Amino acid sequence: MSLLFEYRVFLIAGFVQTLLMALVVALGGTTWGIILTAGIRSPWAWLRTLSNALMELFRDVPLMVTVLLAYFVLPMAGIGLDPFWSTCVAISAWGGANAAQIFRAGLISIGKAQRETAAAFGMTGLRGLILIVLPQAMPVIIPPYVGLLTALVQATSLGAVVGAGELLRSGQILIEQTTIMKGGSPAYVVYGTILVVYFVLCRLISMAGTQVEKSFLKPYARTPGRTEIVDKAQDVASTVPTSA
Amino acid sequence: MIDWAYIIDALPALFRGLGTTIMVSVLAVAFSLLIGLAGCILRLSNIPMAGRIVAAYVEFVRGTPFLVQVFFIFYGLPDLGLTLSIFWSGVLALTIWASVFHIESFRAGFTSVGRNMSDASASLGLKSWQHGLFVIIPIALRSALPSTLNTVVGTIKNSAYLQAIGLAELTYVAIGKVASDFRTVEMFAAICLIYLVIVLGVSALGHALEKRLDEPYRQR
Repeated sequence: MSLLFEYRVFLIAGFVQTLLMALVVALGGTTWGIILTAGIRSPWAWLRTLSNALMELFRDVPLMVTVLLAYFVLPMAGIGLDPFWSTCVAISAWGGANAAQIFRAGLISIGKAQRETAAAFGMTGLRGLILIVLPQAMPVIIPPYVGLLTALVQATSLGAVVGAGELLRSGQILIEQTTIMKGGSPAYVVYGTILVVYFVLCRLISMAGTQVEKSFLKPYARTPGRTEIVDKAQDVASTVPTSA
Repeated sequence: MIDWAYIIDALPALFRGLGTTIMVSVLAVAFSLLIGLAGCILRLSNIPMAGRIVAAYVEFVRGTPFLVQVFFIFYGLPDLGLTLSIFWSGVLALTIWASVFHIESFRAGFTSVGRNMSDASASLGLKSWQHGLFVIIPIALRSALPSTLNTVVGTIKNSAYLQAIGLAELTYVAIGKVASDFRTVEMFAAICLIYLVIVLGVSALGHALEKRLDEPYRQR
């Protein structure tokens, strides 16, 4: 434990990088998810096919392979990124594909009739979507989306594999250094602490998510529709990763 | 562009890696299903504290990154007196990871079985263990099947993480080839394709099983 205290500045710097990376992949993944969802629901068949194929591809290829692919293959396409950003791109691509799955299922859960009624009142296109459909889709979208956010935070640990300087990488360096200097390997203390740090972080996100969930479910309190919505959200949640 | 001859030359090595991927995944799937079922039964049992301990186990494993779990098991456990080979560290890590998701999906399956089912069993003279084994478990597992399949596929995909501790599975073999021959695009195209075939194949098998088990319940 004194070892962790001794190197606290180094470890905190790694943790800050982890938080930064988590923020980038949350934003990147959500944006990519919205783009893919728009593609999947677009009027053009070729764009629907392409978006669906991209979604399936990024969901089915292991995240580890995507992270390595971004690190090794992007430079060959002339996109030279440092490990931090190549990891962010890979995790965002994976997260966005899963986010698209959630958004799509959420929008489908709101029947066509709602769209048509909105259109009848003159709320066509984006206005109908944002004012009428999305607020109703939110109770289905939020629970699996929060689960995906915790998965994205956990996924940032893959940066260590390609050398991005986040928390896990800091832990690895710390273990290597102290093994050289002191002979003893404190691996279980370091990795155990990192496990706890991630656990607390993910727990906080889940707790905040539960509050948001509750506020979106409020209009449905004591209505028979409530359990139906909760079941639907659970069905969607079981098709996306909540951990990585 | 893509050098197909190179990929074909590399196939034997890739398939050896694939063999390890399959072996580690099959063992982890088998163990995790057993632990998942046992954990789920403990979770729903009346044994004091058992339910809470299982719930805490599930929460902790779900709330932590799989890669850190792998490192903890492979590099950390020897300090605590448990030294496992790379292969068995991988099996253990995958088993722990998958078991918590199995516990959760089995639990959802068990709670979906209605209460009046036990009245029906009692009136037929079934003892409580017969009721559990022949009525509840089959129905619960059937309704848990879709999410169980997701976890099985997830186990295969997560086996790629084990390259980080040096297990010579598919991804590890491909990265080794990239390092020695620099045929980056070829190698990644090849392993992406192999993973896609496996993931889609296992999913298709699972859906076929689902359909087969749904047969008696279909409305005619």
